[in-house]
Amino acid sequence: MDALSAVLQGLPMTIMLTLSAFSIGIVGAVPLAVGLSSSNILVRLASRLFVDLVRGVPIIVWLFLLKFGIQIGTFKFNPVGAAIVGLGVVSIAYLAEIYRGGLQSVPRGQGEAAHALGLTGGTTFYGVMVPQAFRIVSPSIATYLTGLLKDSSIASTIIVTEMVFQSQAFARQHPTVEGILPYIMVGILYIALSLPVAYLSRRLDSRMRKAVSV
Amino acid sequence: MTWLTEWAGYLPQLMSGLAVSLLIAGISIFFGYPLGLVLSLMVTAKNLAVRTLGLAVVEIGRGAPALVILYLFYYGLPKFGIAFESITAACLALTWNSAAYSSEIMRAGLQSVARGQLEASNALGLSQRDTFFRVVMPQGMRSAIPGLMGVAIQMFQGTSLAYGIAVPELMKTAYNIGSQDFNYLQIFTLAGLCYAVISMPATWITVFFEKRMARHT
Amino acid sequence: MTLSEIADGKLAPRLGIKLDNISKRYGEHTVLDDVSLHVEPGTVTALIGPSGAGKSTFLRCINLLERPDSGTIQVDQHTIEPGKDVNSRDLAALRRTVGMVFQSFNLFPHMSALKNISFPQQKVLGRSKEEADERSRQLLERVGLKEKADQHPGKCSGGQQQRIAIARALALDPAIMLFDEPTSALDPEVGLEVLAVMRELAADGMTMIVVTHEMHFARDVSDTLVVMADCKIIEQGDPRAIMSDPQEARTRRFLRAVLER
Repeated sequence: MDALSAVLQGLPMTIMLTLSAFSIGIVGAVPLAVGLSSSNILVRLASRLFVDLVRGVPIIVWLFLLKFGIQIGTFKFNPVGAAIVGLGVVSIAYLAEIYRGGLQSVPRGQGEAAHALGLTGGTTFYGVMVPQAFRIVSPSIATYLTGLLKDSSIASTIIVTEMVFQSQAFARQHPTVEGILPYIMVGILYIALSLPVAYLSRRLDSRMRKAVSV
Repeated sequence: MTWLTEWAGYLPQLMSGLAVSLLIAGISIFFGYPLGLVLSLMVTAKNLAVRTLGLAVVEIGRGAPALVILYLFYYGLPKFGIAFESITAACLALTWNSAAYSSEIMRAGLQSVARGQLEASNALGLSQRDTFFRVVMPQGMRSAIPGLMGVAIQMFQGTSLAYGIAVPELMKTAYNIGSQDFNYLQIFTLAGLCYAVISMPATWITVFFEKRMARHT
Repeated sequence: MTLSEIADGKLAPRLGIKLDNISKRYGEHTVLDDVSLHVEPGTVTALIGPSGAGKSTFLRCINLLERPDSGTIQVDQHTIEPGKDVNSRDLAALRRTVGMVFQSFNLFPHMSALKNISFPQQKVLGRSKEEADERSRQLLERVGLKEKADQHPGKCSGGQQQRIAIARALALDPAIMLFDEPTSALDPEVGLEVLAVMRELAADGMTMIVVTHEMHFARDVSDTLVVMADCKIIEQGDPRAIMSDPQEARTRRFLRAVLER
C-alpha cells in the first residue's frame, strides 16, 4: 500500500471526529454564550471561568485526562469517545466566545429600534440580534472549523486511527525515504480539506452581505 | 486532601518540564516573530516569485496541523539522513508555526493603517522607507499587539504537542509520572492547572490591551 | 511675523500652476474628463460642485497622489507628464513645492504635534532637529497652538488637529497649498478656527487651491471660483459674479441647493 492510501484510511475518522465535535460545539455553545452575556454577574463570571479554563489548557491534556483519568465504576472512555467529548467541549468554549463577540458587535441601535417598535425580548433576540450576529461571525466560525479539523490530529496521540495516526504507522514500517511521504501527503490533505470550507465561507459571507446591505 | 500533598511532591519534576515548555515557546516566538514580519512583507511584495514563496511558507505553516510539522521534522527528515534532536525539532517546527500565524496578524495590522496616513506621507514627500518604517510600521505593529500576544499563548500551549516527539516538556513529564504511579487523573489535572495558571492570566492581559487600544483609536 | 516671512526670513516664492487636459479613468468609469485649470501665483482658487464631480480626485492629481492617465502639470519651469513615467526627482520636487491639507487631518498619531511638524522637515528638507523644532514651534504659535507642542493628536480636538496639519504642510515651505475639504469633518464653530488660519494664509499671498463646501469662504476669500460637475469644469470666474448669476443650469441647481438650505 502506498503512502497516500495509508493516510486516506484515516480520513473518515478525521472527518467524523471533526464534524461530531463541531456539532456538539455549535449547539452547546448557545447556552454558554447566553451565560457570557448575562446580566447576572455570577452567571457571567462562572461562564467566563469555564471558557477561559477550557481554552487555557492544551487540547492534548484534555484528551489524556478524559481517556486515562476518568473511571466511574466500570466506565472508561474509549479513545474515540474521549476524542469526541474532549474536542466537543473545547469547541463549545471557543464557539461560545465567538457567539458572544458576534452578539456584542450588533449595533446597539438595532436593539433600541426593536424596543421602540415594541418587539418583545424574545423576538428581538432571535429575530433581530441573532441573524445579524450570525452574519458577523460566520467567517470566524468557518475559520474555527478549519482549526478544529487540524486539532483532530491530536487524537492520534490517544490512539485514535485518524489520518496522522495512519501516517505514523506507515512511517514506522518504512524506514527508507518513502517514510517521509505520509507526512507530506497528510499535510497537503489538511490544507486541501480547508479550502472548500474557506470557499463556502466566502460565498456565504458575500451572499449574506448582499442580503443585508443597506 | 492527599492530592495536595502528592501534588507538592510532583511539582519539582513538573516544573522542570514546564521550563522546557517555556524554553521552546520562547525560542519559537523569538525567532518566529521576526520571520513572521519578513513573511508578511513577502506576501504583499510586487515580485511574483517572492510572493509565491512567502505564501507557500505561510499557508503550509498555518494549514498543516502543528503535530504534522513536528512529526515531519523529527520522524520524517531522518529518512533523508537529517536527524534533529527532539528539542531542536520541536523548536524548528514551532518556529515555522509561529512565523506563519504571526505573519498573518502583522499583515493585517499593517494593512489596517488608514490610507490617509500614506496620503499624508506621500504628500509631504517622505521617502518610501521613511513612510514604511516611521509611519506605517509603528501604527501597524501597535494594532497587531493583541493578536501577537494571542499567538504567543497558542505557542505555549502548542509545546504540549512536543510530547509526541519525546521532548521532556510538561505534558511528557506528566505522562511519565502517570504511567509510573497510575494516578493519571491527579497528575494531568495538575499539569492542566500549570498550563491554565499561565495561559489564563496571559489571556486576560491580552484582552485588557485589546480594550485599551480600541479606546485610543 | 507673517506665515510666509517665517520661511527663510523673506517672502516665500509665489508660484502658479498650469494643469492641462487632465483625464482619469478607473476601468470603464471616467472620473476626470479633460480638465484644464491655470492658477495665477498668489491667488486663491475655490473648487465647488456636487459630490462625485471629481473635485477631490482633481486636487490629488495636482501633487500626484492620484496619477492622471493623460495631461500635463507645469509648475515654475518644470513640466510633468503624468501619463508617462515620472522620475522620482521630479516627483520629490513637486511634493516639496505643493503642500496638502486633508479632510481627515491625517496627523501621525504616534508622534507629538511638534514631532509631526519636525519629522518631515528633517527627512525631506534635511534640517537639523534643532532647526526643525524651532521652525515647528514658530508655526504652532502662529496657528495658536504653542502649548500643544508635546501633545499627541489623540488629545487634540478636530480643529486643533487640522491647524497642526496646516502647520505641518507649511513647515516644508511650499509655494502652493492644496486643501481638500479642510472643514468638512469639523463642527461649524470649530471650522471657523481653521478658516481663520486659511484666510490669513491667503492674505499673505499664498497660492491656494481649496475644495470646499464653505460658500462664504469661497465667495469672500477666493479670487477664482471653479465649479465642477460630472467630471468637468462647467464654469469658472469671479466668485461673486457666478454666485449671484450663474451661467450654467447645472451651476444654478447646485447653488440653489447649497445656498438655500
